Amino acid sequence: MNQKELKKRLTELEDKLIGIEEPRENCIYLNCESQNSFAVNKFLFEELRLRFVIATGIDAEDCFEVIYHYANDRAGSMVNLKAFIRNRKKPAIDSIATFLPAAEWIEREIHDILGIDFNNHPDMRRLILADDWPEGVYPLRKDMDSKIAQGWTCKTSIRPSKKSPARRTIPMKKPILAVGPFHPLQEEMEFFQLATDGEIVTDIDMRISYNHRGIEKISESLQFDQVPFLVSRICGICSASHPLAYVQAVEELAGIEPPVRALYVRTIINELERIHSHVLWFGLAGHFIGYDTVFMWAWKYRETVLDLLEEITGNRNNYGNVTVGGCREDIPDELKPRIIKDINFVEKKTNMLIKAVDDDPILHARLKGVGVLSYEDAVKFAVTGPTARASGIDIDVRRDESYAAYDQLDWDVITRPEGDVFAKVVVRLLEVVESCKIIKQAVQKIPDGPVAMKVKQIPPGEAIGRVEAPRGETFHYVRSDGGNRPVRHKVRAPSYVNVPSFKASCIGEHIADVTITLAAVDPCYSCTERLAVVDGENKVMHDYESLLRMSREKMDRISKDLGVEKLKLEDL
Amino acid sequence: MEIAKPVFYLLLFPGFLFTGILGLFFMWVDRKVTALIQSRMGPPWYQCYADIGKLLYKQTIIPAGSNAFWFVLSPLIGLAGITIAATLIWLENSVPHVSFVGDLIVLLYLLILPSLSMIFAGSVSNNPFSAVGASREMSMVVAYELPYIIAIFTLILKVKSILISDIILYQAESGVLIGSLSGVIAFIVVFTCMQAKLTYLPFDIPEAESEIIGGTLAEYSGVLLALFKLTNAIMLVTLPLFLITLFLGGFNINSWQNIVYLVIKYVVILTLIILVKSIHPRLRIDQAIKFFWGPVTILAITGFILALIGV
Repeated sequence: MNQKELKKRLTELEDKLIGIEEPRENCIYLNCESQNSFAVNKFLFEELRLRFVIATGIDAEDCFEVIYHYANDRAGSMVNLKAFIRNRKKPAIDSIATFLPAAEWIEREIHDILGIDFNNHPDMRRLILADDWPEGVYPLRKDMDSKIAQGWTCKTSIRPSKKSPARRTIPMKKPILAVGPFHPLQEEMEFFQLATDGEIVTDIDMRISYNHRGIEKISESLQFDQVPFLVSRICGICSASHPLAYVQAVEELAGIEPPVRALYVRTIINELERIHSHVLWFGLAGHFIGYDTVFMWAWKYRETVLDLLEEITGNRNNYGNVTVGGCREDIPDELKPRIIKDINFVEKKTNMLIKAVDDDPILHARLKGVGVLSYEDAVKFAVTGPTARASGIDIDVRRDESYAAYDQLDWDVITRPEGDVFAKVVVRLLEVVESCKIIKQAVQKIPDGPVAMKVKQIPPGEAIGRVEAPRGETFHYVRSDGGNRPVRHKVRAPSYVNVPSFKASCIGEHIADVTITLAAVDPCYSCTERLAVVDGENKVMHDYESLLRMSREKMDRISKDLGVEKLKLEDL
Repeated sequence: MEIAKPVFYLLLFPGFLFTGILGLFFMWVDRKVTALIQSRMGPPWYQCYADIGKLLYKQTIIPAGSNAFWFVLSPLIGLAGITIAATLIWLENSVPHVSFVGDLIVLLYLLILPSLSMIFAGSVSNNPFSAVGASREMSMVVAYELPYIIAIFTLILKVKSILISDIILYQAESGVLIGSLSGVIAFIVVFTCMQAKLTYLPFDIPEAESEIIGGTLAEYSGVLLALFKLTNAIMLVTLPLFLITLFLGGFNINSWQNIVYLVIKYVVILTLIILVKSIHPRLRIDQAIKFFWGPVTILAITGFILALIGV
């Protein structure tokens, strides 16, 4: 649907809305009261068939806002529905997870952090807050007592009561196989519970947030130019995509266009990141099905890309290169031949891997028809990136809402209709080849000029930045009140919508297949969990000083037991 | 002194101690070569000995709710079985007149014992991963034993005896058994089954680290885990020697020349094992069963029919 049609259809909603704003081209804000939001959401998703991106919960002092973000991928535009919840005492809104499973997690998250109730939500357990976080304390409310957060440590004896909906124990009758919280399958902490009948998985549940860092909360206390360094630490692998999405949002807010050379530098770094991420995943996928030789080889080739990134930005990960108004470091011209040479090498090796995958009958047997995510399910779970493209959904932010220098280069979006794990492998490997193509063109076409410009002030307003990260669309929403800190900064990493799709793709599969299916969306838990911190029953158990004191006391005790003189700083 | 002799054979040479030390060495060879294929450094030569040594003084935990008696006994059963099998194979080849009627059948039974011990161990561990591992091991045994036995019958048909000494004698007189078409087929079948017996890729399904975190071994620690590792090490020597005895004319260790022959034969088989292991991903359990009951069994039967008509 193009933008004109979209606007025409939106007029049908007039009686339910209290206003339509269009602060920028391709970005529409619809305002409504909370009681109408369910109907409007249903219209946007089912009638207009827009893609649900995420919802943002905001404490706007006098009321609560829940902003539902939808993407119209054909026109590369965003439609945002702002629902106002006026009742601050007992905020509530109708859940949209009843018809849109993609919204299930974010509604649980908003409930955790802002205390907004979602009526008729199918599963209102905690998502991101720790089990022993006290009930009734909401970390993203502006009036939260920050002292509670400072001294919180994990003590299992203080938890919400057994009857509390916050408890996350999962009642399952069948034998349960626990994948996690630490399991050789995945590098990060997550917990899948598989109910099994022999080798067949009959039910599956998941809990996340073992590693929650409160990025969104921290972001509100940093200045606009400090935030990129924070968000690049959301995830080591997507550490070019997150800052870029944030920076694009702020640039949109400030209405500035960075220099063209900076756009090319951003393109090159982001594509290098994509190559290293996809090759890394391919190696891991090999490891999950016991193909350790592929694992080692893939990571060997990835090393070339990491070396290049280190040469350009100074770091193998967490590049910290993108900044509001351009880039911090330029790509020196003498580096160009080396980039071309290394990328040619990676391209050659990727083609070799593609051929190896194509020729291996056991890989076909293990991956084809396994963990199929159908087109319909992919739409319902609103998946993005290679996960969506392997299910036949033709979306790619790089093309749909082109940013950096992608619209000036010649490349293709890879899609596959099958939706199985094999399709995901093929999509990722072919995307690596496309990325090589993009980088080579960008290096040849890069114009001369500065890579950064001065930015004076960020005016009040709100803006959205979207970037196609290796795993899918990264979404950043920034709201400014004209000061030098964001009032609200919402991050939606691609894994946040990709991971829940296991419900559609895993049930009824073999245990052996479930593990590779779970891994096939390239889950990134550090991206998925961004927020939190407190003690049980609102009392500070240990603050930093007391922990430090305890640590020193233990050190003294040990030295005494060992009969060693206490070490003094002067002795060292 | 006559009583001490079998004990010496079993425990020191060529049984438990010698084969164990040799097995751990070849386990290192396996790890080193795999590492080189994967362009890694690989461990130093003493790594496998160090692993066993470390496990021996680690705490052995018997999980709550498990059957402690069987939990401890299971690794011992497997180790005892494979040790006797190893001793038998060494002696049959190097000492005259130890063969007895039906020793081939006895060997076949002894070689199943390690798998059985894995099944026991998995079943009594009181852990879902172990239970899945045990059920997978059971399916695997059922799957690969069928073509395996058919291939062994092919040999018996050709030699017309169930004495191992007769098989060796037959090969000394009329050429190695792998020399004929039916022999080659039987060799391929037994080799494939051997890969599964060793639980090596693509058939390491019962252990599948990235799916069921080691399966049967998930609950084992300390000395008991060391026993399982030793069982595996001895198997890594015994099974190829068994293959050499059946198909490649046996071996002898009475002269340097014969030892070099043995080492060459062994290294060829070990290289094959490592190569197959390194270039394959893991099959799924149902695919493995289909593989063994389908193509492999058909191959084994073809070999049997060829042997019937004397090819």
